Amino acid sequence: MIATVIRRELKTVIRTPTFALLTAILTAVAVGIAWFGGGVRAGYVPTTVDLLTPFELLVPVVAVAFGYRAILGDRRRGELDVLATYPVTGRELVVGTYLGRAIGLVAALAVPLTIVMVAIVASGDDLIPVYATHRGADSPILFVRFAVLTVFFAATILAVAVAVSAIASGTRSALALAVVLLIVLLVGLDLALVYGFTAGLVGDSTLIHSLAISPLSAYRGLVLETTVSVAAGAGPRIASPVASVVGLCVWTIGSLAVAAWAIER
Amino acid sequence: MTLIDVRGIEHSYGTVPVLDDVSFGVRSETVTAIIGPNGSGKTTLLRLLAGLHEPTGGSIDDHTSDGVRRIGYLPQQPAFRPGFSVHETLSFYTSLVGADDDEVIARLERVGLEQAVNLRVDDLSGGMTRLLGIAQATVGDPPLIVLDEPVSGLDPQMSLHVFDVISEIAADGTTVVLSSHHLELVERTADDVVLIDDGEVVAHGSPDELRDELGVESLLEVYEGAVTGSADAVRVRGEHA
Repeated sequence: MIATVIRRELKTVIRTPTFALLTAILTAVAVGIAWFGGGVRAGYVPTTVDLLTPFELLVPVVAVAFGYRAILGDRRRGELDVLATYPVTGRELVVGTYLGRAIGLVAALAVPLTIVMVAIVASGDDLIPVYATHRGADSPILFVRFAVLTVFFAATILAVAVAVSAIASGTRSALALAVVLLIVLLVGLDLALVYGFTAGLVGDSTLIHSLAISPLSAYRGLVLETTVSVAAGAGPRIASPVASVVGLCVWTIGSLAVAAWAIER
Repeated sequence: MTLIDVRGIEHSYGTVPVLDDVSFGVRSETVTAIIGPNGSGKTTLLRLLAGLHEPTGGSIDDHTSDGVRRIGYLPQQPAFRPGFSVHETLSFYTSLVGADDDEVIARLERVGLEQAVNLRVDDLSGGMTRLLGIAQATVGDPPLIVLDEPVSGLDPQMSLHVFDVISEIAADGTTVVLSSHHLELVERTADDVVLIDDGEVVAHGSPDELRDELGVESLLEVYEGAVTGSADAVRVRGEHA
């Protein structure tokens, strides 16, 4: 049942020119920053540092574009009513829709990240071919970690976008909700954490765990802690990787649960 | 044999009452037509029968046997995912009931749409879209299919074809409940007619029974005799005492 829904979503992703355009834009931006920033010649970790900040903005935008109308379209066409007469539950429909779109989103991220990695391999000086055995050395494994964490972050934002698409009643309200969502995720939660810290609501000892509340901070913390810090050497802890992974998982599962509730209500 | 027993159902959208004490039975393997003015509650009643709403009062006793799909449904304005072909669209629905590709062609042949198998759903005419919707409603062989205004906006020839298809589906053993404003086609096709006005059943029976009861010649005259209110204004349930 879920496989049938996944196949339909994949066909939709492949046939929607907007998604191909977003992939092309993301690729152009990533390759441009990596190339003109000099990251590709410096190595994997310098490129990761170059890409991290732009990806913090671009990846959520692309993920929201992939998901904010995913279920809304079926609702507006009356297909959700029709599907309610079939032996498929709202939960299966949400999971299938999410996975189908997620596969497309992973492809949209894989293209620029693969091209950038190939560019580093082709252009970089004195690169370690596979894996560094000593802390403090650059390595392609670190870039792969960055890529995996970026996909994880994108998948989380996609789940939130799918929830928006299930809650919204029209395209305009979905778009408005998506914009609000982006502002909250990209600015609002980080500002709330800063306020909590300065107001004393978040203590020094709990700050690195509290960052996991925000998907953006969780992603940034994970990348810095598991990729950049590894090559840069020992220093103060930037984030709690476990709390960050838990935070992203809670956002993903919670959002899909909200979407399933919205369909079945 | 009665397939569905509708017993005193009521339904409201918030504080707006739409249906009030509606009762009737749907006989197995027949065509039952729900007719009535715009805004009288036909679509709400059909959605209740399809299980898309819960009545706020009364009950619907369902005697359909357990199968892969209990009820088929055609919404008033059927639409399908853009960019998909007719075959892909129906294949998606047949996959949900575990049927294979042969089933897709069989369903399309049943409604006379086999020539359009490779057309994109965006390129279908209104009538063809409605036929694809009816083909979808029959997927999984549900014992009951609910069709909300299947010929709304179609030309007379296409309307006739759609009603012929519906007759064939009923003749094959499927119970059909539909709503329509095409009283001539309803009179020709329906075994039973439920006339709703202002959220209440004002007449129920076969077309012959209804004509005899009112001593008139046609279902249109039955309609005109049973439906109250001015033809100059559209009434809205809940906005008058």
